[in-house]
Amino acid sequence: MQDYLVSIILTAGIYAIFALGLNLQWGYAGLLNFGHVAFMAIGAYATVLLSMNGVPLILAVLAGMIMAGACGAFLGVATLRLREDYLAIVTIGFSEIVRFILLNWSSLTRGSFGLYGYPRPMEELVAHGDYNLILAGIVIVVLLLVYALIEILAKSPWGRVLKSVRDDEAVSVSLGKNAFSYKVQSLALGSAIAALAGSLLAFYLQYINPNNFQPIETFYAWIMVILGGSGSNRGTIAGSLLLWGFFSTTRFLEGYISLSPSATGALRMVIIGLILIVLMMFRPQGLFGRKEELAVGK
Amino acid sequence: MNNMIGQLVANGIVYGCIIALAAIGLSMAYRIMNFANFAHGDFLTLGAYLALFFAASLNLGFPLACVLAVLATAAFAVLLDAGIWKRMRSSGASRTAIMILSIGVSIAMRNALIIFFRPDALRFPVPVMESINLAGILLTYFQIGVVLIAFVSMIGVHTILSRTALGKSMRALADNPNLARITGINVDLVIRYTWMVSMGLAALAGIMLGLITHLNPNMGWSLILPMFAAAILGGIGNAYGAMAGGMIIGLAQEISTAFLPAEYKIAVSFAIMIAVLFFRPRGLMGGN
Amino acid sequence: MANEILRIEGVRKVFGGLKAVNNCSLSVTEGTIVGLIGPNGAGKSTLFDLISGFARPDAGSIVFSGKEIVGLPAYRIARLGLIRTFQIPRALMRMTVLENMMLGSQNQLGEMIYAPIVRRSKVLADERAIEKKAEDFLKFFDLLRMKDEYAGSMSGGQKKMLEMARALMADPRLLLLDEPFAGVNPALSERLIEKIKLLRKNGLTIMIIEHAIPYVLALSDELYVLNKGAILASGQPDKVISDSRVFEAYLGVGSDAQP
Repeated sequence: MQDYLVSIILTAGIYAIFALGLNLQWGYAGLLNFGHVAFMAIGAYATVLLSMNGVPLILAVLAGMIMAGACGAFLGVATLRLREDYLAIVTIGFSEIVRFILLNWSSLTRGSFGLYGYPRPMEELVAHGDYNLILAGIVIVVLLLVYALIEILAKSPWGRVLKSVRDDEAVSVSLGKNAFSYKVQSLALGSAIAALAGSLLAFYLQYINPNNFQPIETFYAWIMVILGGSGSNRGTIAGSLLLWGFFSTTRFLEGYISLSPSATGALRMVIIGLILIVLMMFRPQGLFGRKEELAVGK
Repeated sequence: MNNMIGQLVANGIVYGCIIALAAIGLSMAYRIMNFANFAHGDFLTLGAYLALFFAASLNLGFPLACVLAVLATAAFAVLLDAGIWKRMRSSGASRTAIMILSIGVSIAMRNALIIFFRPDALRFPVPVMESINLAGILLTYFQIGVVLIAFVSMIGVHTILSRTALGKSMRALADNPNLARITGINVDLVIRYTWMVSMGLAALAGIMLGLITHLNPNMGWSLILPMFAAAILGGIGNAYGAMAGGMIIGLAQEISTAFLPAEYKIAVSFAIMIAVLFFRPRGLMGGN
Repeated sequence: MANEILRIEGVRKVFGGLKAVNNCSLSVTEGTIVGLIGPNGAGKSTLFDLISGFARPDAGSIVFSGKEIVGLPAYRIARLGLIRTFQIPRALMRMTVLENMMLGSQNQLGEMIYAPIVRRSKVLADERAIEKKAEDFLKFFDLLRMKDEYAGSMSGGQKKMLEMARALMADPRLLLLDEPFAGVNPALSERLIEKIKLLRKNGLTIMIIEHAIPYVLALSDELYVLNKGAILASGQPDKVISDSRVFEAYLGVGSDAQP
């Protein structure tokens, strides 16, 4: 039972970090990024590959974040002038291209065989069976740090400019703010946070391959952000708990429904899709968002 | 005699026909409804699986099953419009909200198909076809059939668009939505027919894809990039542009395998799409 | 001898075949108020867009304080001290009045992404100073009691004042006011006239687009009349107003502006 709870905390925590990065881009800056998973992948693979080649773990994680941040900035500079629907298409395309590169650059990433046997933080300290407990602790600490960072930034003058860029770019520009730069910054920071989540995911799974990083992961993050109320960091974390709580409790029920395992998995996803539809139709501000502060449906 | 380039061109034409049919519907619906429908690929999948269901489970002849599948998919699209899209439109939801909703529709549809069928690859209950050899190019009868049906469909679309009142309304609404609304076109009716034609074509494209490859729940979703690339290349809202765009994308992808490993096909359509968005965002035949 | 703070020469802007601004030239002396009037569609707001960098002229030059600004991005022009307001007030609805105001202040250290983390105490000190400045301006415009309300809950006239107050936070050297009296009730308008005069007294240069002729006459040191994208008349306000061509221009388009 404890193992079970620990794994929920781990998954919900890692995805909460992932979604917080997205919330920064969407809830605060109003940017539509459908390629968020690409940066999780970059973080995971960079950390794993570097640490497998002797780079100290902390530096490997940092390097992953910097690479992802740079890619996010590059993506922003290249595409932010596009209309939001083109931005959505291009960012999905970008994340598929990243996955495609990871799949086909086999000499580096071993393609679909994936990577395993890489170092994990504090591995030497505990017996193998107790490691997840330590990792859960690490994830919780990282989550709190990321949360604190984003909250400080959101309430700061930087956050104020970001919100003004989202609400009415012309106004912020007329007051001397370089709106474009702020959008790029939020993309870069959100991507770096996604990379951090990716590194943690790699530590948890002990084995990564490109199939861990399909577009559906991005949409999990979207559901968490919208469920919690776009722009609310606490809401996003709650959204993650709800989503993973849903996944785990339905796993319990698997024994009671007479469907094949793949069908139950699919049923779960159908419900996810329906939740998203119902949310967007009837409660776009999510569970904890406020209608006046609605980022969607303006 | 082995005609490699000819083979690639032929494959490209076949593949391009499928993309073209799918892109027509995507392009017109995009322009008229003013949002990118990320569930479009899953309508291809739906059409293919419905054809399989009608043919295999209800034991109807395959051609009849296909016709029914196309009609059923079109009907489903109209139902979805009445229940979901229309409500979003009238509540003034933003383009972003509708796009996110379409992701939800996509996830739900794809996985519903996994529940009712199996997640593995399936084949249509049709005999395995031999290839014929035309001047060094190998083609199955299915591939030839795909091209023929696609061309017939495109002519059909052209006829609808140019000769019927409905088609002219669709073009007007796609060309200039605001103007069209003011001139008294029954917008709801036109939208309903647009969904029917778009998704009917998508279903047909899905069936054709299933014929020349196989069926799997991701078959339509995996084409999302080439379809959008084709629609954008042709110019959103222009059916003829989508036809041209689809053929170009199909040919480009197949011919690229002469120089690049086959896995790079997806990168080709992405590169074309990026190029269009940066240098000529309105596409080949698009309006503003 | 006062300086010329803004010089526009031969500026042209064409929108899809229509000459929105057609070969305009004008000059603004520092520390004065320049009025810009003309019938609807004459190109006044377009001219403001061109000056402030929100649109790029097809031809001509715009020199602000000795520096050519055509081609500069709008945010950079604002940083030089050229601040504009909008015809329809654009208050940031989802932020409070005070937040709107504090946004206006330029060169805030806290707006750099690293500063709120690594230079926390300086940023906090700056914020307190900016808040004080904001409250002073809000008081000047009689909006102080609304400072913690969401800007979306203000009336149209109040939003107009907020926009002007916010613009002042940016330390403008040249302020472009687009119809500052639209939607403001007469009593408030009288006080607004006095406030604008006070701003001029403190050295601010102001250009005003306005339809209400009495207010323009009360404020302007110099008046320009725009018609169909070109300058029809310019000079001393009372002389310009009595020019018969000006009257005809207004009549020609169907006038609702009465002197």
